[in-house]
Formats: sequence, structure tokens, C-alpha cells
Amino acid sequence: MGKYILKRVLQFIPVFFGVTLILFLLQNVVPGDPIKMIAGDKVLDPAVELQMRVSYDLVQVDENGDPILDENGDPVPVPLPERYVNYIVDLFHGDLGRSYQRKLPVTDIFADKFPYTARLAVCAIILEAIMGIGAGIISAIKRYSFWDILVTLVTSIMVSLPAFWLGMLLQLFFGVYLHVLPLSGAGGGVASAYPEWMYYILPAFTLASVSMAYSARIMRSQLLDVMNQDYIRTARAKGLSNRSVIVHHALKNALIPVVTYIGVDFGSMLSGAILTETVFNWPGIGYEIYRAITQRDWPIVMGGVTIIIVVVMVINLLVDISYGFLDPRIRFGAPKDKS
Amino acid sequence: MADSKINQPVVGRRAFVGGTLAASSLAFLAACSNNNASNAGSSTGGDSAPAAGNTLNYYINNPVCIDPYNAQEDQGIQVVFQLFDTLTEYDFEKGEIVGLAAESFESNDDATQFTFHLKEATFHNGEAVTSQSFKRAWERIVNPSSAVASIYGPSEISYHLSVVKGYQELLDGSATELTGVTCPDDQTLVVDLNNPYADFAYVVSHPALSPVPEAADTDAENYYLAPIGNGPFKMDGKWEDGQEINVVRYDDYYGTTAKLDGVHFSIQRDQETAYREFQAGNLDVCDVPVAQIDAAKSDRGVSEDGYTMSDGQHMLLGSEPSTYYLTCNNTAEPFNNADFRRAISMAINREAICDSIFSGTRTPADGIVPPGIDGYQEGMWPYCKYDQAAAIELLDQLYPADGDGKRGITLQLSYNLDGGHQAIMESVISDLEAVGITCTSDTQEWAAILTEYQDLNYQFGRLGWIADYPIYDNFLYPLFHSDSLGGDNRSGYSNPEVDELINQARATVDTDQRIDLMHQADAIIGEDNPVIPLNFYTHQIAGSDRIAHLYIDPLKKADLSEAELA
Amino acid sequence: MQEPSSTQRGGMAAKAETKAKVSGAKSRTLWGDAFKRLRKNKLAVIAVVWIIFVILVAVTADLWAQQWLGSPTASDTTQLATTSLLPPSPEHPFGTDLNGRDILVRVIYGARVSLTVGVVATSISTVIGLVMGALAAFYGGIWDTIIMRLADVFLAFPYVLFVVAMIAALGNGLMNVFIAIGILGWPSIARVFRSAILTVKENDYVDAARAMGASDFRIIVRHIFPNSVASIVVYATMNIGSAILTESSLSFLGLGVTPPTPTWGSMIQAGQSYLQTAPWMMIMPGLAILTTVLAFTLLGDGLRDALDVKMKDA
Repeated sequence: MGKYILKRVLQFIPVFFGVTLILFLLQNVVPGDPIKMIAGDKVLDPAVELQMRVSYDLVQVDENGDPILDENGDPVPVPLPERYVNYIVDLFHGDLGRSYQRKLPVTDIFADKFPYTARLAVCAIILEAIMGIGAGIISAIKRYSFWDILVTLVTSIMVSLPAFWLGMLLQLFFGVYLHVLPLSGAGGGVASAYPEWMYYILPAFTLASVSMAYSARIMRSQLLDVMNQDYIRTARAKGLSNRSVIVHHALKNALIPVVTYIGVDFGSMLSGAILTETVFNWPGIGYEIYRAITQRDWPIVMGGVTIIIVVVMVINLLVDISYGFLDPRIRFGAPKDKS
Repeated sequence: MADSKINQPVVGRRAFVGGTLAASSLAFLAACSNNNASNAGSSTGGDSAPAAGNTLNYYINNPVCIDPYNAQEDQGIQVVFQLFDTLTEYDFEKGEIVGLAAESFESNDDATQFTFHLKEATFHNGEAVTSQSFKRAWERIVNPSSAVASIYGPSEISYHLSVVKGYQELLDGSATELTGVTCPDDQTLVVDLNNPYADFAYVVSHPALSPVPEAADTDAENYYLAPIGNGPFKMDGKWEDGQEINVVRYDDYYGTTAKLDGVHFSIQRDQETAYREFQAGNLDVCDVPVAQIDAAKSDRGVSEDGYTMSDGQHMLLGSEPSTYYLTCNNTAEPFNNADFRRAISMAINREAICDSIFSGTRTPADGIVPPGIDGYQEGMWPYCKYDQAAAIELLDQLYPADGDGKRGITLQLSYNLDGGHQAIMESVISDLEAVGITCTSDTQEWAAILTEYQDLNYQFGRLGWIADYPIYDNFLYPLFHSDSLGGDNRSGYSNPEVDELINQARATVDTDQRIDLMHQADAIIGEDNPVIPLNFYTHQIAGSDRIAHLYIDPLKKADLSEAELA
Repeated sequence: MQEPSSTQRGGMAAKAETKAKVSGAKSRTLWGDAFKRLRKNKLAVIAVVWIIFVILVAVTADLWAQQWLGSPTASDTTQLATTSLLPPSPEHPFGTDLNGRDILVRVIYGARVSLTVGVVATSISTVIGLVMGALAAFYGGIWDTIIMRLADVFLAFPYVLFVVAMIAALGNGLMNVFIAIGILGWPSIARVFRSAILTVKENDYVDAARAMGASDFRIIVRHIFPNSVASIVVYATMNIGSAILTESSLSFLGLGVTPPTPTWGSMIQAGQSYLQTAPWMMIMPGLAILTTVLAFTLLGDGLRDALDVKMKDA
């Protein structure tokens, strides 16, 4: 098992460097100079612009901290590989740099944002697990019934509509027409109109919608799958009640892939939250990163994506490991195609 | 500069500088104030119940900075206005610049030296406000190795002081002080300028040029988040990023102490969220999203003068000194032709944009200088109006139409898709289509578009200009003077005659004569029509019924000490 | 939110595929039987009809839509006061937008963008995915490791952010939307194809072909591809729906196709501010997305069942 874990950890290393490197290279392909953009519509004084580059370690400096100029009087940029190495070194010191636009350290900004996204994702996962698994079980047990058809239809619809649109419909119905839930924001301020937990309902449901549909489908097919297995037939033949068979035997086995799916899904929720956060004005990490991309605020983009990747990897690793414990075949190296 | 603030949900934008994603909103102040006799103003703000007692709940977006060091966008500046008093302020009601922290001020005859005599005052920590406090504050902004610069990077707004002697030397590190600023005694501040600039007294009204105490240098890191100023309110706690900023009354304020106990700046993600909180009764002053303007007008009651809230009149729609315009690349075909620019300008239906898209929260532009600026004249730019027939007449000479009414010319309009600009630009495109000109959209992200503007690598595109100081010069010099080429003059316009008139105006101490010279320059610019002004911004601020009186000036500086609650 | 689904969907397809019955013999009758089965699936038939209808409307729009409903892009600004934000009526079945344009005609023209993006982006993903999958599976070893790790990098990357960043790098425009969505879709199909090949590769007839001296390329084209084509068709059909959703997310965020060309996502975005006062602005284009993507999803499900590319339960 230790070897298995080590192998998984080692596999993440190239992924981690691959992702950060691609992002890093992207900065240099994307048009628009982030430093020129700092002053918004206004144009920075060239001297201030140069100082700004110095302060973000974008140009080479001499031992006095003054920028080194080439023969044309232009500053000499720090070579890209060096900047990447610096970034990684700083990262391991817990330093993600400072926002171009907001000036504050990236870690401070995300310390504020991350909890919102994490809490939202947790709520969404709980919703997904309860509603997805529940719907899947009902659908499988009452196969071909009205409920089965309903679940099938609803899950098809849920995977076919843009979640941001679903979010807006929910806002329209519950917020505008019924006035029972807050339209947007995270609440919790001095002046919130509703109890804080109510702010989570619509965004969490929206964020969970697609995954909920998938986990219901997976649950259904797994359960049907398991119930066709010999040992279940045996159990039935022994005269155990249908309920007992399902609860004690089938469910346990059918749950493994669903739980795996849900676990891995936590990661995609963190990153998939951009649109939900946009629709609901959620003060989270996804929207912050999106805003940063449009403003070329690279330290925030790099920092935010790095945080997401690390969290996603850790969760995937935990899921993998627990899956390994549950299913010995994996541990012993059976071929596996996880997505 | 910048515009921004159209209607969109987004983060705190920069408006004085600005905008890309727009949004924004202006913020406001709310004032609640009141009559209960509360005592000492200590904190109330924060976590307590909404709108408690004598504390005002005031919406802002998350600011970029609340330290004068980087005070620029319209959100953070709302807070700086309450924490700090600058040397002067512009009194819009009287239409003149008056002393604030300065008792009086004068300039020499050629407007190259200004002397300010300070009032006796203290900072919130008890330290006396002296001429040194101003010198310290200004050097801190310009000096790239100041304590705060080494933590938060150089200030972006040192340009305010670029006219002061010694600016360049301090900025490039060859000097350690701002030599143009001297302090003959504690109450006297003398400023020497590189060039004549009669409007300098207006420049120092910008909140970025407020005085700071020693702590701003010795404890720069904390000061940045909890600035100590000389204004009517002081910080209670520090700026809680994304959540709130609380200020309470400063009882030893040198002027009239505020009636409010404090102000709770409630940081909301965007205008729409904020407005819902406002509707729920949790905010006292809030920007109104454009989609809600009509409802808000009838519900809140429109203020007569546009700037003052009173009973039954809680909706402010007064104009702001800001202009939304299309910048044209005057250095390349086809916009290098003045007739072409005039024709395009006259082909655009400004009223439709203002009335239908903005529900009347913009007014059609009739020049680059908006109302509210000293010297504003109606109809200053002759081609800045909707006259389709005249536009067609001009275009027929340049690009005759074929049988289908097409002129065989395709323009590229640059703008960003966020920030609610799209509906305006599509309206412009429709208007041009109507006179036979096809228009495609260049919709890169704002960063890329700004770079194109600066490189004069575009045809025409949108921009906004929000005045730093409410003076004529702040529109003409940065936008049209040759000195500003490569800077804020993005149209590439250059006219020696205009340069000369602006230079003369800047050296003219007499206000009427100065404005007269500015008018002469503006008339020439208007004739050349180098850019196409579309509309002027207005307030779109609503107040709660609690407010009996609150004045918010065109720069969105709320006079909170005079505010009263019902 | 929507985005992860496309990767997940790929994952599910992969899972489905590994369980697919891929035997060599039934290539002739496979398609005939499949067609018969598909015809019996009412939902799939409705889906096909709807897709054909949408395609017809989009393709022929120039002939009738503007005459009936006016221009999808230009508007008469002098009439704006009386044409802006009208609710649905016989004259404007879907209402009008802020610029006074008919929303139905904009939805119709928006279909062009959505369908084109769906088909072109999916083609790009499929081609790249097939090549990568084949390389990985057939040559194995270091090729397999590199390609599959690269796929991991792509899948680990927050999907929406990746597309957004790609568009930021490439610039706006329809072509760049094809490329961005197309490129990002390859890992899923590469995995599907790789596992399909790995399954088939072990069959005796492949060994036989190899023994007879067939080249790798020939083996892939003649023996492996025909046996994986069913799963690829299913995957690609579903992927069209995903690509349409991704494009709508992009244009919702103000990226991608440039105005005034209408897209469904940008129409929803324009309607967001008017949620309370003019809800039809966002409802109508959303319904267009829902029905179109749902049609592709149902058709994909139907094909999966018909072609027997399927988890065992159905």
C-alpha cells in the first residue's frame, strides 16, 4: 500500500509542474501588459511604470536595487525560466506574490476568498450525495416506474442546461417571485436580509446540479449492476427480503464507485465554481481568478490556480487511497482507468 | 478617468482611474445622522445591528486602497474623504475653490509658486498637523523607496505632483526629498512648480494629497490598512478586506464635529447585491442599478437639485464631472479626416443611448467638458449632436454610397464586453449602419485594448474620463495637449495653437481670463472634433427614508458632518 | 459547473467503453440493427427531429427570418423608446432586448454559432483525441506515459479557467473558440480510444494481422478503428452538446464570439441585469440551449443503447 501511495504522489508531480508551467507560459502569450493596466484607463508615468516592474521583480536590478538598463535605456526583463524558478521557490516558502491590481499579498486575498468557495463546495457535495444517491437508489429499485422515468428525464435535463442559467431561473423563482430566498451574495454582513445559511441554498444547488445528475445515473446503473451479481441472487434465493438484500449487500458494493466519483468531483467543484460565483455574486476564489484573468493580474491567477490544483490533487489522492483500501484489486496493480 | 460604472456586477473598479470591467457604481454615503444626542463617538460600527442608532450604513465596493498613498478609484476615495482633509476643496454650490485644511492660500503672479497657510489641527492620534505632514505625505507618494513603497509597490498617483519642482529627481532616485516643497514654519507650506499652473490649488484638493502623520512612515504596513488622518472621522479597527470598514466621529476635529457617531462602510460585491440589501432596509445609501432606475425614481422621489437628499426626495441624479466618449485614432485613415470624425459624431443618436439604455442616468454630451465644471458652456462642440442628414451629407463627399446605400468602408470599433458597454456600442453600430457604414467589433479584453490605444494601433473605441479635479484644464490638457501624447492623449491629436492657448491659460492667475483662454482652446478642439463625446455621467444614488438631509457633491464626496437623520 | 461535466462525460464514456462488447464479427449488421433499435426509441427520434429542425431554421434563416422579425443585429435607435424591452407578444414572440431587437430572431441566428461550434470543436477534439489515443495505446511505454500524463495535466486544470485563459491568449473570434474548446476536449476521447484499442489489441485477429506483416497504421485503420467507431460516435454526439454548453459559458462571461453576432450565452448575460424587469431576455435563449443540448444528450443516449456501447444495466 505504501508503494501504491508513493506511486500516486509521484504521478502528481509532473501534473503539478505541467499545469503551473503552462499557466506561466500563457502570461507571455496573452496580449496586454499587466503593468500598463495597473492604472486603469490612465497612463502610468514611465518612471513609475519602471519602479512598478522593479517592485514585482519583473526586471533585473543591480546590487543597489536599481534597474539595469540596456544600451537603449530599456530595462532588462528577468528571463522567464528564472521567474518560474523564483515562483516555485517562493511558493515553497508560502509566498504567492502580491496582486498587481490590489497590491495586497495573494495569500491574504485568498485567505479571505477560499473559505467561501470551500464551504459552498462542501454544501454542494452534501446535496449531491444525498439527492444524487437517493434518486439513483429509488430509480434503480423502482425500475421502469414513474419515478425511474422522472429521474432519468430530470437528470437528462440537468446535464443539458447551462448551470448559470439554472441559477438565474432559481433566482427568478425563489428570489424575485416568491421572495423566500436571497437572490445573491453570501450574507453574513452586518446588514444581511436573511439568515446566513439561506444564502447557500441556491448557489449550492446550482453548483451541484450537474454532478447530482451524474451521481444519480451512476448510482442507478451500479445498483442494477450489483443486483444482477450472483451473490445477490444467492441472497435472494436464500429468502432474504428485498429490502434486506439491498441495504446489506447491494448498496454497500454499489456505493463505492459513486463515492469515488463524488470525492473526485469535489475538485471540479472548486474550479467549476466560476460561473456559479458570477451568477450569485459569491465572494469566492473562482470569481476572483476570473476577474484576475481579465485584468491580467497574474499573481492572483497563478496563486489561485496553484491552490486549486494542490487541493484537488490532495483530495484525489485521498480518494484514491481509500478506494485502494476498499478494492484490493487496485492495490495489486490491476489496470485502471480513472478519470 | 475611466469610466466604468455602467451597470454591471463586478468588483470594485477603479474609476478615477479605471475601468474595465466596470461596474461600479458609485458608492455612496449614506448618511444617517441624526439627532439623538449620543455621546462620544466611539465605536459602534461594526458587527452590531444594521443601521443602529446614529451610525450610517454606506455601500462601497471593495476598495483598492484607503490610504491616500494610492487613493484613486471611486470606492476607496469615499473612505479617504471622511478620514482626511486636504488643503482645499471645491465648493460646487459657490463655484469656487476654498481652503479646507488650509486657512488661506495664494500664488505668485505667474502661478509658479503657491503658499498655503494651515489651520491648527491634529491627527486622530493627537499629533499636530503641520506643513511637514504634507511634505511627508507627498514625498511618500513620489519616492519609490519610501517605507510604504517597499511593501506595497510604488504609488500610481504621483502624477498629481508632476508639476512640482524636484518631482522627477525624487522619482528617479537622484534626490531624497521633494525640493519644490518647503516649510518655512509649521503653519506655512510653500510649493514651487516647474511650470506655471494657476489651477494648482484645485490639484491639492485631491484626497491623495492629504497630510499623513509620522506613523505613515514608521508603521507603513499597518497604516495602509488603518490610516490615521485629520478628517472628521477616524478608523475603528482596520479595513476588513471584502467585508467592512468602520469609521467613528473624531471629537477633536478642528472643524465642526460630525453629528453622526460613525459610518459603517459595508463592502458589497457589486451594485446589484448592494441594491437588494438597500431594498431590504439594510443600507442607507446605495447606487441604483440601471435596470432599477425607473422604479427607484418613483419610489424614492427625485431630488430637486440632484445632489441633496431630503424628505421625499431620496434619489440623486445630478451630473458628475465625467465624460464617456469614443476616442478616434487621428493619426491614421479614416479618422485622420476631420470631416469624417464630424460625420460619425453626428450620426450617433446620443439621446437614444441616454434615455433608453441608461434610463436617463446619463445626459447626451455636447462637448468634452461636462456640466458642473467651472466654465461649462452648452453646445460647446458644434458637431457633438445627432444630425443624421448632415452626417450623410458629409459622408457623401468622402465615401459616396452605392445603390444599396453602402459606402464601401468598414470600421473597427474597440471595446470590452464586460461592464455593460455592449448595448451602447451596439447602438452606435446600428446608427452607423443607418448611414451606410459597416462596423465590426474588436472586443479583446480591456488590457489588450488599452495597449492598442497607447500604441495608436486602433480605429476608434470607447473610453471614459472622470475628472480628478473639477476644472476645465483637467479635460483639455491630459486629453488634447501635445505634452500628453503617449500618455492620456490617446487620439494622437496635436495642434500647436491649442497647446499655446492651454499653456497661456495655465499661466493665467485670473480665473475669468483663464477660463476664457480655455474656451478658445476648446472651441478649436471642438471644431477639429478629435474624439466623439457620447454622454455625461450622473449620480444614480438612492437614500433610505431615515435620511433627512444629505449632500453628495458631483465628485461623490458626501458631506457627512452636515448630514441629518429624520 | 457545467464544465466539469464534459470531462466527466468523457470519463463515463470511457467507463462505458471498457465494458462495451467489441467483437470483431458483427460490423455489417451492427449499423442496420442499431438503426432499427434507434427508431424504436421515442426520445431519440424526437431528439433527431428537433436537431434537424434547428439546423434547418439556422441554415435557412436568411431567407425569411429578417423579413419577418427584423435584423438580429441592427436597430433603429430613433424608435428605441417604443421598442426597447418589450415583453413577448404576437409581434415579438420572444420579446425584445434593450436595443429594441427581436429576441426570437437573435435566438435563431444564435443557433448558427452554437451548432457550428458544437460540430467543429467536436471534430477537432475527436481528431486530436484519436491520434493521441492511438499513439498511447499502440506504442505504449514512454509514449503512453507522456500522453496520458499530458491528458492528466489537461484534466487537472480547472476547465473553465483553461478555456478562459486560452481565449485570452488567442483573442476573441469564432475560430479561436473552435480551437480552444476543440483542444481542451481531446483528453477524454483519447482515453476512450486508448482503452478501446487496448481491449481490441489483445484479440487474436490483431495478432494474426500482425503475423501476416500488416503495418501498425494498417492495423489501426483496418481492424481497430472499425471496432471502436461505435463508441466514438456516441462520445462525439454527446460532446457536441458539451461544446455548445461550453461556448455558452464563454459568451456568458463575455468571451469568444464578437458582437453584434448574437450568441445564446451573451444574450443570457445581457439579460442578467434585467432579471427582475425583463426576465424573457434570459429565459428564451436559455430554453434554446436547453432544448438543443438535451436533444444531443438524448440522441447520444439513444445511440449508446442502440449501438450497445453501454453499461450492462440497460
